[in-house]
Amino acid sequence: MSRRVFITGIGLISSLGDSAAQLHAALCSERSGIARNQSFDIKGLTCQFAARVESFQAEKYLGSINLRPLNRSSRLASAAARLAINDSGWTPDALAQENVGLVLGTMFGSLRTISEFDQRILEAGPTYVSPLDFANTVISAAAGQAAIVHKLRGVNSTISTGPTSGLQAIAYASDLIRSGGAKALLAGGVEELCFQSFYNFDRAGLLCACNKSHCAIPFHPQRNGFVLGEGAALLMLEDEASISQRGAPVLAEIRGHASGFAPQTDDNDEAIEAIARTMQLALSDARVDADNIDCISASANGSIDWDRREAHAIAKVFDGHSGEVPVTAIKSLLGETLGAAGALQVASAVQAMGDGVLPGISGLTQLEHDLPLTHSTNCNQRIDADLTLVNSIGFDGQCCSLVIARYERTN
Amino acid sequence: MERVAVTGVGMVTSIGTGREEFWPSLLHGRSNVGPVESFDTRDYSVHNGAEVRNFDPERFVLKLDPYQVGRASQFAIAAARLALIDANIEIDRLDPHRVGVSMGTTSGEPREVERFDDNNVANTLEQVGSSFIRRYPCNLIAGNVAREFSFGGINVVIPTACAAGNFAIAHAFEVLRSGRADLMLAGGSDSFSRITYAGFARLGAVAPEICQPFDRHRKGMIPGEGAAVLVLEPLSKARARGVRVYAEVSGYGLSCDGHHMTAGDGEGAARAMSQALDNAGIKPDEVSYISAHGTGTPTNDRLETIAVKRVFGESAARIPISSIKSMLGHTMGAASAIEAAACALATLHDQIPPTINFSQRDPDCDLDYVPNLARDHRVHLTMNNAYAFGGNNASLIMKKCES
Repeated sequence: MSRRVFITGIGLISSLGDSAAQLHAALCSERSGIARNQSFDIKGLTCQFAARVESFQAEKYLGSINLRPLNRSSRLASAAARLAINDSGWTPDALAQENVGLVLGTMFGSLRTISEFDQRILEAGPTYVSPLDFANTVISAAAGQAAIVHKLRGVNSTISTGPTSGLQAIAYASDLIRSGGAKALLAGGVEELCFQSFYNFDRAGLLCACNKSHCAIPFHPQRNGFVLGEGAALLMLEDEASISQRGAPVLAEIRGHASGFAPQTDDNDEAIEAIARTMQLALSDARVDADNIDCISASANGSIDWDRREAHAIAKVFDGHSGEVPVTAIKSLLGETLGAAGALQVASAVQAMGDGVLPGISGLTQLEHDLPLTHSTNCNQRIDADLTLVNSIGFDGQCCSLVIARYERTN
Repeated sequence: MERVAVTGVGMVTSIGTGREEFWPSLLHGRSNVGPVESFDTRDYSVHNGAEVRNFDPERFVLKLDPYQVGRASQFAIAAARLALIDANIEIDRLDPHRVGVSMGTTSGEPREVERFDDNNVANTLEQVGSSFIRRYPCNLIAGNVAREFSFGGINVVIPTACAAGNFAIAHAFEVLRSGRADLMLAGGSDSFSRITYAGFARLGAVAPEICQPFDRHRKGMIPGEGAAVLVLEPLSKARARGVRVYAEVSGYGLSCDGHHMTAGDGEGAARAMSQALDNAGIKPDEVSYISAHGTGTPTNDRLETIAVKRVFGESAARIPISSIKSMLGHTMGAASAIEAAACALATLHDQIPPTINFSQRDPDCDLDYVPNLARDHRVHLTMNNAYAFGGNNASLIMKKCES
């Protein structure tokens, strides 16, 4: 008695705009969200760039509520939630009455709030910390704050699986709807850019070390790391009964998903196998073959190892057809937005299927030698796509894949 | 849909590691609350905690370098190893791709960020080195468990603060019911944290000496640390293996107050309990034991009592309800996982652990809290309650599995 899961609304805040249409238009016109990082002191660090959501004003989306208790993660998530709610046509009253829930992916929560709270303990003393700040140090704070802002009284869950958190949250929410545990849920992810995460990613040697903004190009031979970004994206997911009761519009359907893990992150073959297995399981879960997939949204972000592994995994699953399936990757313009990334990919994929245009991989003038992705290009492609496979892969060995279908009203 | 059995439990707590130490400690009402040793509390308004002392990670972390993972990961790996042994699992006979890990936590690996902050404040950031990203993010708790045992199935951390353990177990239950795994390790882990301690102290929620849930003179919680992991598998597979089944997970309820970050209203808690009963398909008077969230703060215990009475009506007075936080302190994201393990043990042994430090009844808390002494009691159905910042509520129901 498995129920179908539909996307009825999309809300997002990104460095490339605050709607799926704007994001898609920016990707298709190769407008970049990446710029020289001026939001904090990065002296002595390797990476000079970040994809920050400039001029984000939460008031614009949340009106006159008291924003003081909301840190940047909570504001980004609450604003994306507002946009998704509006897009899906839910009224605030109905939302509270029907116990609509929220499943939010995030890698860190607000690392900035956590760290600044701790520094206050060290500098001013433990009796001088703010109780309000303390409530925001929990990793689930943004989900809690968004629930208060929008009166979301159903399931309120936070999912942390590193950079795959956003896609994993959508997978988790899909299963709750499938099994009848919920009928409508907001699901997606959020991540804020802050000094603490930037510094430590840089020190770990994971960030792009070039001196130009357009260099973390997925699958490019000269890539050497990713550019950190931020944002939030939430989908309204609903079952059929809820949709027909509301007479709501449908944007797309989530057909299936799977998650896996590669325990040995330094073992190339094992990582490729884990990514391929996860993609294959997602296809089985969606009851489709690789042949049915019309395009792929890759997780690739400019990482030396993981981009190559993903490319080989795609070739493995599509067994000779990978040359024919167009693969896009949106992080050369959007940066690696960690917890938000997978959800932003889904938003972009839904819009791409609707518009019939798949954005090219910006900057991909040249493909790394031997990478089996001959149909990937920096040019936009016309597509008539019914099914998109979305990959999200983390440098810790996390893998998540999701199959989304364009919705035909005749279905 | 598959029925889901609990076939093993493992835990690291301040009153014992592994069920052979933990369960007798619970029944005897032991507690190891004392002055905090993890950091200097000179400048704090309170000084007691329930820390895990003399924990030797080398006993349990055998494949990974125990000192390359954080303390919460060390606890989680130890609890997982003990649970796998308890469930009589032969790891070599499992399909590693079909074994998943679902863990809850409040803080992840807080010592890593605390080390970063120490250096940042001292202007010695260069000493932080490159390890933060490989050691701090909370998802590493599940990741490190999977690495230690080479498990390639779904790997998730659900950091829903003080209700996280229940969330993680509920998720593992869903994963198994939908056939996405053959076996799940599910639980929670948290290590003692300066950030958490300072925050709760500032909220006035920390008791100066001991934790006295539901007592008239209760003064708050005692922050603690620890981990628990449950082995969950389809009941049919457990039966085929011929192993002992502690209990069957039969349902859960998750809800959100949507009202205030730190002040619950009891309505959401009642809703989670009612949903759990519905989800498990049972009537309130069938529940034989409630493991309370019971932090020992004046507000929590009063509101939880009201919520229980709202859901259970007249039968509330007849159902024993106890808080093992009276012994363990509040182990944050691990708490409801340790309490779920206690529910499984209570179901197996038909015994209920007490609420210790109970000396005087509170007119607002008028239920049967199993004061001070463990009790022999037929335990057929247990409800495990957990509440968290963000107005998060989670109730989990387990049932005796007659063979």
